Amino acid sequence: MSLFLQRTFDSLANGSAYAALAVAISMVFRSTGVLNLAQGQLAMFSTYIALVFATGPSPYLKFSSNTDVVGAAWPIWAAILGAIVISMVIGAFTERVIIRPISADPVAAVGATLGLYLLLGAFVRKQWGGRTMFLGSPFPQTVDDRWDIGGARLWHDSVGITLTMIGVLGLLAILQRRTKAGLAFRAVTSNQTGSVMVGIRVSRVLMLGWALAAGIGALAGGLIAGEINVRPDMMGRLLVFGLAAATLGGLRSPALAFIGGYLFAFLETMLGGYVSFIDSQVTLVWALLVLIIVLFVRPSGLLPRTETWRQR
Amino acid sequence: MRANDATTPAPVRVAWIVASAALVALSLRVAYGATPKIVTDLSNSVALALAFGGLVLLTHYLGLLSLGQGALVGVGAYAALHAVNDFGVPVVWMPIAGLLAGTLVGAIVAIPSLRLPKAYLALLTLSLAVAYPIVLKQVDGNLPVLLHGSFVAPSWTGIAEEDEHIWEFFLVASYTAVTLFLVQGLLRGPIGRAFIASRDEPEAARAFGVSVYRLRLYGVALSGGMAGLAGGLLMIPTNFNDFTHYPEELSIKMFALAMALGGSRLISAIPGAMILIFLPVWLIDRNWVVEYGWVGLFKSEGFIYAALLLATAYLTRGKGFMHLLDSRKHRKLRRAPLLNSRASMVADRLVAIEDRVTQIEELVDEPPDIGSRQNATD
Repeated sequence: MSLFLQRTFDSLANGSAYAALAVAISMVFRSTGVLNLAQGQLAMFSTYIALVFATGPSPYLKFSSNTDVVGAAWPIWAAILGAIVISMVIGAFTERVIIRPISADPVAAVGATLGLYLLLGAFVRKQWGGRTMFLGSPFPQTVDDRWDIGGARLWHDSVGITLTMIGVLGLLAILQRRTKAGLAFRAVTSNQTGSVMVGIRVSRVLMLGWALAAGIGALAGGLIAGEINVRPDMMGRLLVFGLAAATLGGLRSPALAFIGGYLFAFLETMLGGYVSFIDSQVTLVWALLVLIIVLFVRPSGLLPRTETWRQR
Repeated sequence: MRANDATTPAPVRVAWIVASAALVALSLRVAYGATPKIVTDLSNSVALALAFGGLVLLTHYLGLLSLGQGALVGVGAYAALHAVNDFGVPVVWMPIAGLLAGTLVGAIVAIPSLRLPKAYLALLTLSLAVAYPIVLKQVDGNLPVLLHGSFVAPSWTGIAEEDEHIWEFFLVASYTAVTLFLVQGLLRGPIGRAFIASRDEPEAARAFGVSVYRLRLYGVALSGGMAGLAGGLLMIPTNFNDFTHYPEELSIKMFALAMALGGSRLISAIPGAMILIFLPVWLIDRNWVVEYGWVGLFKSEGFIYAALLLATAYLTRGKGFMHLLDSRKHRKLRRAPLLNSRASMVADRLVAIEDRVTQIEELVDEPPDIGSRQNATD
């Protein structure tokens, strides 16, 4: 029982990252109909920004030979917040400059997000190299920073990451339900033409959606970096789980995508822990298989089947 | 090699025959004259042309997005290599194992995702592209797996034993040429037209009794099979398989090139494959890969492909640069005078009738002169 409990605890931090990416992907797809395949790379890029802020002037992190911009090293929390702000600006810029002119054509839009995917990867590799770097966690991470529950260890940073993510995504849900901006966002995702007719500035709302999605991704990257370290391919695996989790919500329900993130992390940990021939790397394949089975059995994910999901 | 031309004019046909003969002559010249390294690279690009062909089929004929073509190439390579190493299949026939494996995996991915909006196929294939190298590393280990077989040319070819790269090139080129010829024939026929109908007007296609889902499934399976065959063919010049050969970037680069260079021509697969193989060689030769910072970024492969994707998205709306050539040609055709005098006469009559109809419509649409009628009544 204690082993089961331990594995459940272990899945929390990863689950938070998957959930955050899944929510970000769902938000963008729901509002614009564009599958943002660069979501993971945006998160990876913002983690490097957080690293630059947190490290301060360092020959290993020089940014075009100009490290004075950063000044002294920032605390990790401040570094992550700084990265979130920059990411939100990049997200809004991406929507305005890259996606909006071609949003009517889904092939072109997906092509553009893939272009961004490659561009960010190339940028990071050429600016900061391909080696693994350490950002650290904003929460206590020493061996004593834990609670022992039922013979299992619950680490403070896992709890911190999970609560932060739940708090931020909960806040986002409240914003969507209780504020005018949230109401506008819901109206735009429901009916863009109708939103224009009632005076909502759809372009601004969409830009806000992209900015928020980029900010959530940046938060996920910054928090999970303490667990998996920072490297150019750090988000590949997370993106696959994020996409799988988003699929559980039919790509349109951030709430179900959020649940899907924790569900896939739980599944990943349990499969890797209890099935002898599956190690932690191969769990990705099982996630893929689960995804295929879910799509096969219940194409709309956990959403009720509606007209939208009929074959187009 | 146009998709939707029922008949090809004789001069165009002659031009194609001349171009094909020139291509064969050039291939012979390169195979016998170039260094073994260049011939091996050329064999790799000829093999990959098939995978590109599959991607062009998906992207431009069916309007679907596949981001896992590189992984399907890897599946084909794995199947071909293990067919020889574990089951004793003759090396000459091993690409067929790749073909079968690619078709199967393509169909497995397509069956659930094609029932949903098109984004799902992109999502699943990207997941496949990310997962495949991890799986291969797990299954085959960190070290490359060698092929237990060699390609010795038959004596009638006159190719010496130490020139096995020439024989390998001919094998790969033969497989590729035959497959592209067969697929091109398929695309020129009713199936190709049904593909295009399912892309442009799926509802109309359904109304005419075409099962769009089944058609797309066949298309994805065919594309997967072509990628798998390409993977099997890659084993001929490469002779070993390694998980580092199939990173997810390979699939994305292939997609970028197919999207940029594709169009309604399967032949565009060849330049795409050439660029994929020879661009890194060219960058290494110029020492550009070791440069860092902004200059290094602009000279990097990732930046070049990203720029290509963004340019294709903006300038052609994702339809590819070949499409621009096609639309220019169509405009030219519309402007050209009709050569056939009978057809010309009928067209003139039709234009005259249209003018009369327009005049009548204008008369009907003219508002009644209410003022004068009112005056008359008063």
